[in-house]
Amino acid sequence: MTLNTEMQMPPTQINPLEEDTNTKPFSIWQDSFGRMMKNKLVVISLVLIIILLFMAIFGPYITPYDYLAQDLTKRNESPSAMHWLGTDQLGRDVFSRVIYGARTASLVSLLVVFLSSLIGLVVGSIAGYVGGKVDFVLMWITDLIMAFPYLILGVVISVSLRPPLTEWMEDRFLATGNPIFRQTSFVDVFIVIIVITSTAWPPYARLVRSQVMMVRGQNYVTAARALGLSQMKIVRKYIIPNSIGPVIVQMSAGLGSAMLTESALSFLGIGIRPPIPSWGNMIQDGLLVWRTAPHLLVAPAVVLGLMTVAFSFLGDGLNDALNPKQWK
Amino acid sequence: MIERKTILTVENLYKQFQVRLGAFGENKGTVHAVDGVDFDILRGETLGLVGESGCGKSTVGYTILQLYRATSGKIWYDGKDLTQLSDKQLRPLRQKIQMIFQDPYSTLNPRMTIGEALAEPILEHQTVPEKEVIPRVVELLGDAGLSSKCMDRYPHEFSGGQRQRICIVRALACNPEFIVCDEPISALDVSVQAQIINLLQDLQEKYNLTYLFIAHDLSVVKHISNRVAVMYLGKMAELGPKDLIFNNPMHPYTKALLQAIPIPNPHIEKSRTRELLTGDIPSALNPPAGCHFHTRCSHATDLCSQETPRWKQLPDGRMIACHLAVE
Repeated sequence: MTLNTEMQMPPTQINPLEEDTNTKPFSIWQDSFGRMMKNKLVVISLVLIIILLFMAIFGPYITPYDYLAQDLTKRNESPSAMHWLGTDQLGRDVFSRVIYGARTASLVSLLVVFLSSLIGLVVGSIAGYVGGKVDFVLMWITDLIMAFPYLILGVVISVSLRPPLTEWMEDRFLATGNPIFRQTSFVDVFIVIIVITSTAWPPYARLVRSQVMMVRGQNYVTAARALGLSQMKIVRKYIIPNSIGPVIVQMSAGLGSAMLTESALSFLGIGIRPPIPSWGNMIQDGLLVWRTAPHLLVAPAVVLGLMTVAFSFLGDGLNDALNPKQWK
Repeated sequence: MIERKTILTVENLYKQFQVRLGAFGENKGTVHAVDGVDFDILRGETLGLVGESGCGKSTVGYTILQLYRATSGKIWYDGKDLTQLSDKQLRPLRQKIQMIFQDPYSTLNPRMTIGEALAEPILEHQTVPEKEVIPRVVELLGDAGLSSKCMDRYPHEFSGGQRQRICIVRALACNPEFIVCDEPISALDVSVQAQIINLLQDLQEKYNLTYLFIAHDLSVVKHISNRVAVMYLGKMAELGPKDLIFNNPMHPYTKALLQAIPIPNPHIEKSRTRELLTGDIPSALNPPAGCHFHTRCSHATDLCSQETPRWKQLPDGRMIACHLAVE
């Protein structure tokens, strides 16, 4: 140590700009956030997403009506001051149901993205880091699932899982008397999450694998090894920060597409089933009367479309913000 | 010449890579990247290591740093055989041996600021107390000719030459004594090359460094080196003091290499006779028997194709591996 300090130049010679060196270095995440906020589309998307999350969390407390309350004297009414988005075939308030639908959509898509990115991260990083036969087998499975049409898988899983799950719930209710086991919507949500996750994780695995493989071969990783950094530090400071960007982008876009898939499954009757409102089953209801009461179709469809687009724009914005090579 | 002590000794080093060939990887092959190499590096010197692309010179550098594990052979440093040490045992030694890479564009982590990148080796090896880390980083930036304001900037904001200067001072950050320079200038344009060479020389003087300078540009090697080693197809051809090698080469391969340097005078360039090498460098998957160079050597005899020449010392001090050289 003494030898090392002797080797340095006397401090007076170091640099006249020494005061500047105490300026606080800002993190790359703060930097990225600042850059992202310059894109107006991204800001609008973020506002929409925050509104969605607000609706999802506080839905039941802010809706003007109960989403299940029927008023058969007011069926298929057009939008009015009383009912902002009109009423449906059973006289329920569409506005309240759209808000409650946000809860369903957010719950499903957040869990799906969390689970599928987790699976993808594990499978992809093992495949990319270990390579060889492990990589071959894992990617074979990934490709197999990727090639499988999700709707057919959805029907199969839904049909084979629903009866035993429903039965189990009834058994539990009879055994415990806990009313939570009467909520059959839990079964729906559970099945939808399983169905979407089982087909949504392969793109994450592929992405993570390619990222890890690319980063692993970079000179800066070799330089880090030459420096004597431990394997853990290399993974934490070099591999992950350099491979996570595209995964975050994919997660953002994945939130939108999970909402879309959930709606598609619910539209077909194998996802969330009435009376629990999902934008998908609301669109399905609306389809029957779209000539006389188009608002029943338009309201959930517009909200669904807006949210999908918002997540997609957010993904684009994140992509630009997180990639230092694109900074100007 | 000043008498110098040995800092690093490479003994009979072999590095082979197993590859699979054919559409389905049905054929296995062995690439003999480094095929029995011996040399010393002396403290404070610059040893130039030259050779064609694919002759194994970079592999020698990577193997010295234990980024590739040697197939066999020894690398002695500070009384220890690096090839026998575990990653954990190597860690303290890594402070003393550093590397500068060919491509400065991919050698810096794009998600780390220059300040973080320079502080990392210092913090990792704790070469200065925590309070002095920032002044040390500023000093290193000064060595690289950059202002301290560059600390908060990211690598992509710098030019190739600036980045290579940053890479160089980053390699110096943990106070190493031996640096492997793996073609540090070949990815840069000519005007910047001179700058980098001067920086390397200034730093060598300032910090008393030893370089293994790997390159294929002979004129640069001539400028910077004290001694020069010539490699061909995984083996050493000739090694000796710079003047001896450049003015009086004895290995036919060294002669051919030196004759390939263009002379910047068209009259001399036109009138001189050259022995040009014919054919391509043989594959390292299946190197020729005997002297590896005999397939392209105009002086080759039957002995050359049968027996591998010894790595021997000549009276003038050079080492050579050639049957035609007389001891």
